[in-house]
Amino acid sequence: MASKTVTNTGTTVENNTELATFYVGKALCGIDILSIQEINKHFEVTTVPQSPDYVVGVLNLRGRIVTILDLGKKLGLSEIEKDKRNRNIIVRSQDEHIGLMVDAISDVVTAEKDKIEPAPSNISGLKGRFFKGVMKTKTSLIGILDIEEVLKD
Amino acid sequence: MIEDDEILQMYIEESLEHLSDIESDLLTIEGDGENIDIDIVNNVFRAAHSIKGGAGFMGLTTIKGLAHSLENVLDLIRNKELVPTPNRISVLLKGFDKLENLMNDIQTSNEEDVSEYILALANITKSSLSEEKQDTVTTILDLTLADGRVFPAVSQYSIEQAKDDGRYIYLVEYDLIKDIQRKSRNPIELLESLEKTGTIIDSRIDFNSVGTLNDGLMSTRIPFQILFSSILEPDMATTLFDLEEDYIHVVTDEMLSISNTTINIDTVPAMPSRDVEVESIVKTQVVEKTSTKQQVNEFDVKNAAIQTKVPSKKADASSNVIASSENEAAAPSQHKTTPKVDFDVQQTPTIKAKPAVTIHKKQEIASDNDINDNINANESDSGNAMNMSKPMGSLRVNVNLLDTLMNLAGELVLSRNQLIQGINSSNAKATELSSQRIDMITSELQEAIMRTRMQPIANVFNKFTRVVRDLSQELGKSIDLIIEGKEVELDKTIIEAINDPLTHLIRNSVDHGIELPNIREAAGKKATGKIVLKAFHDAGQVNIMISDDGKGLDPDKIAAVAVKKGLMSEQQVSELSAKERIDLILLPGFSTAEKVTDVSGRGVGMDVVVTNLAKLGGIIEIESKTGRGTDIQIKLPLTLAIIPSQIISVGNEKYAIPQVNLDELLRIPASQVKERIEKVGDADVVRLRGNLLPLLNLAQVLGIKKTFVHPDDGIEYPDQRQSIADRRSNKTDQNGKRESVNTTVAYERTGTDRRYRAASAINIAVVSAGTHKYGLVVDELKDSEEIVVKPLGRHLKKCSGYAGATIMGDGKVALILDVSNLAQMAELTTMAEAERTAKAARAAEEAREKARDKASLLLFKNGPEHCAAPLNLVERIERIPVSSIENVSGKKVVQYRGGALPLYELSQVANVSKLPQTEQQEIIVFTVKGRELGLMVTPPVDAVEISLDIDDSTLKQTGINGSMIIDGHTTLLVDIFDVVKNLNPSWFEDEKLAAAEMEEAGQKVILFAEDSAFFRNQVKGFMTDEGYSVITAEDGEIAWNLLKERHNEVDLVVTDLEMPNMDGFELTSRIKKDPVLSHFKVIALTSLASDAHVKRGKEVGIDEYEIKLDRENLMKLIRRYMNL
Repeated sequence: MASKTVTNTGTTVENNTELATFYVGKALCGIDILSIQEINKHFEVTTVPQSPDYVVGVLNLRGRIVTILDLGKKLGLSEIEKDKRNRNIIVRSQDEHIGLMVDAISDVVTAEKDKIEPAPSNISGLKGRFFKGVMKTKTSLIGILDIEEVLKD
Repeated sequence: MIEDDEILQMYIEESLEHLSDIESDLLTIEGDGENIDIDIVNNVFRAAHSIKGGAGFMGLTTIKGLAHSLENVLDLIRNKELVPTPNRISVLLKGFDKLENLMNDIQTSNEEDVSEYILALANITKSSLSEEKQDTVTTILDLTLADGRVFPAVSQYSIEQAKDDGRYIYLVEYDLIKDIQRKSRNPIELLESLEKTGTIIDSRIDFNSVGTLNDGLMSTRIPFQILFSSILEPDMATTLFDLEEDYIHVVTDEMLSISNTTINIDTVPAMPSRDVEVESIVKTQVVEKTSTKQQVNEFDVKNAAIQTKVPSKKADASSNVIASSENEAAAPSQHKTTPKVDFDVQQTPTIKAKPAVTIHKKQEIASDNDINDNINANESDSGNAMNMSKPMGSLRVNVNLLDTLMNLAGELVLSRNQLIQGINSSNAKATELSSQRIDMITSELQEAIMRTRMQPIANVFNKFTRVVRDLSQELGKSIDLIIEGKEVELDKTIIEAINDPLTHLIRNSVDHGIELPNIREAAGKKATGKIVLKAFHDAGQVNIMISDDGKGLDPDKIAAVAVKKGLMSEQQVSELSAKERIDLILLPGFSTAEKVTDVSGRGVGMDVVVTNLAKLGGIIEIESKTGRGTDIQIKLPLTLAIIPSQIISVGNEKYAIPQVNLDELLRIPASQVKERIEKVGDADVVRLRGNLLPLLNLAQVLGIKKTFVHPDDGIEYPDQRQSIADRRSNKTDQNGKRESVNTTVAYERTGTDRRYRAASAINIAVVSAGTHKYGLVVDELKDSEEIVVKPLGRHLKKCSGYAGATIMGDGKVALILDVSNLAQMAELTTMAEAERTAKAARAAEEAREKARDKASLLLFKNGPEHCAAPLNLVERIERIPVSSIENVSGKKVVQYRGGALPLYELSQVANVSKLPQTEQQEIIVFTVKGRELGLMVTPPVDAVEISLDIDDSTLKQTGINGSMIIDGHTTLLVDIFDVVKNLNPSWFEDEKLAAAEMEEAGQKVILFAEDSAFFRNQVKGFMTDEGYSVITAEDGEIAWNLLKERHNEVDLVVTDLEMPNMDGFELTSRIKKDPVLSHFKVIALTSLASDAHVKRGKEVGIDEYEIKLDRENLMKLIRRYMNL
């Protein structure tokens, strides 16, 4: 996992959120790092026949059954392409652990609340409703995912 | 209200525990009537009392008020001043119910309105008192201390009671900080210890004297005031209370003054909702709006405990309001005497706020029943909101069990250390030993932890006493509920989950099962019905039986309803047995109640019960006798968390089938697939022990792409099979590279049935869930394992085919199959159709079986050949040493019971193998013509009862009647008479003589009806041998027509019983009824004469019975009837 970037800005820590960023297709997305349980690359999932198409399968995470979702498909893009850079981001939501399979993990960046803008209706092909907002950095545009919205079934 | 979670939680738990026993106690009290059991009343009284005590401390004013009223009534019952009538008990029960509701929703309890309950209870209390005392029940006193502080709102009744008993009344002030916390005491314990020496009348925390931060007078004390009555004298008080004298006040009459408040408004603690009411009235009608509102607001802000002055002012304010509205309300007040108005009084908020006096008068008119009604009405309104928020559950665990757990944990740690050591030192033996230990400890640990979750089923059962009582009262029935096996333990989750299904079943029994008393008496039963609720262990499962002695279920009525509701066609119903018809009530959409009552016919049918039980892995069986009662049996697993299950696999994944659903495992060898698996309609069925079982292909249902590993190159390819019975497919609709492979495979398989490999045998798990039983076709059957059930995430909730998931030994996740939902997914229609077709086929087969003749045969061998002979000709079976057989003049004999028994073997007459040489010889002893002879045979010798389906041409020869297939062997049917005739013609000379005689005297004619060609020829042979002339008929109808035409020739009728078109009974009955033919004697031939047959035969007029192959007796009989 990428090392944390150190923040030297004058604003208080409470105002800032650290975002773990990752790629879904070409879009760079971020999730509040505090909502992430872990990031792993276990792929020995058990497929669940008859499940929604965005469900990759279920995984044994230290005795807990975790549903792994294909974040690409869940967000309405194409399937996550299977390669070595794939990772599962395990998040906690409503008393349950859920894994999000993403294309690749990127850096952890600090988001300053005042630099976050409301999400446009579309970010690299992803629907705006999945995002809490977007943050511009020098090189890229990070869409901050609204986890609960994404995980709605 | 005190927010100390820990103490509050403890209080709630204790109170709920008290409350849980109260119900049954109250019911016992009710049952005892006037002869109360003082101990039980005391139990209930103490419970109410300690709830009240704690509530005072916690600031739970509503609970305190209600508990206090309950206590008053119970006290009267205890002192035998009040007889516990059912009505009074009902009021008490409802009060306690409300108390329990309040407990479960403690945070909002102070806002609840319980005034109706309190009024009802106060009326009971009053009714038992003398005139002058009646007022004390509703009069409230304020207690003013020497320093001017006021302890408000004490019930005069309680004080008077204490005084009457000659007790001293103390107001004791404990300091929560100094006297309780610093001394590490617990307020509830304190109350309990005080209870030992006297009675706590009231208790509260005096927040008033604490002061606030603002007024700068903050006292260091938080007084916890207890109003206490005891027979102990004041000089002992300091020791008793363990307090300084300053804080103990002896209450004298001077200190008490009648409060401005009265019970109806103020012992029912002020509730915000009511304040709002007052406020709204104020807004609309009163000029002094501002001042009242201020008061009200002030009141809201302060803690509930500081009710000192506010209530009285509020009452003033509202009485003003009422005064002005009194005139307007004049109309209803004229009708004071009618109960209806009374009801109105309670319902409309405006009048509710009236000064209490008015309400009193009205209330006095109300009988207990009215009060009950009012409470009932109220309950139904608030019922839904009750269960909203429950505190987190906690569990009591036996200390011994906890110790066991600790020990096991200790052992586990030790074993782990050993294991680590073993691994580190690569000591295989030590590792193995410690792993064994860990295995053992884990099992024990599992069991011990499970035991902590076990709860007695009494927790659920006890509720039903009340349910049955209330319901039977409502329905005007008289019912005894007998509960057995309360101590049986079940997992907590199951206990909680079976409550609803059981309630439904019990309600059904009360509502539909037990009849009204007069109907019962008319039916010759006791007026009081009986319902037995019983729990017991059986075969590792918990069984619950609900039996009633009511009217039972009527299979035909149920069937009619099922047809009416379109659940089944008349045709289908007509094929069902009585039991199957009763089981129809388990179908979705079925409800027998002719009119929907709110008791049990609530549109929710038995199917919900079945589904709920199925979720728990439970099954339900119904047995019912019309008019006698119904038994419902439920079988439940002990726990749900860990279940034994069968692991199977399809494709690359493993799945688990819970063992409770599994009936058996079936493997159909490749060579038998074609003959055992058939297609009925769209569904595959398998032949299992003569029955047809519908098949579900798991891969198809779940939509798994089937693959197979090609035996030649070891690469996976999609499976080509189109159906199960189809061993191969000739379609290749794959594309690209695979197509080429497939075409070659298909090409290889152009021949027929070449793919008979053991590897392509079909594996079937036969499962059942509820009413469905089917075979699940899987790729592989693996081990049976105990699995830990884990829930699936919310994204998979819609996949109904799974009951959860589990983690396998290799760390991978396996899904647990939900057998009943799978059947539903696979479209029940095809399933049901297959089931029906299977049933029809079975019925047809049975009918055919029945139509055929059955006979008892003795099976034996003659060397390699399988042989059979009619059992009724066999006398005995003997085993003799070969050395005892003697050869006398070319014949074999053996000394036997003082005579010589001639021995023969089959090869002497028939063209069969010679017997092999042995040391022991089995002999079947037959009796022919009154003489015994032995037939030497080869073991095993066995008797069977079988349908005769004889081929009388292929293998017929001398001594052999014909052949048939028995247990897969071609078996020769030995004709003993023929054998004897050939070996000993002299034995039959009598017959020849008789035949010759008959020829001279004119032939006698027999009409012989028999459908089986074999028997027809056989028996006809016997008859012609003896000189009779025989007219044969293939069935009863032909015989009937023949007889009508030729009755002049025929002398005697001999008929088979079971025949198509017209059977022997019918034929006989017609003959005996016909004026011309009734003189004919009828001899019935049967293969098996059962008592029922004989009886029926006698009824229609059959003159005599004979066994078909018993030639001798038959001939004797015929001769007798021919008068020869």
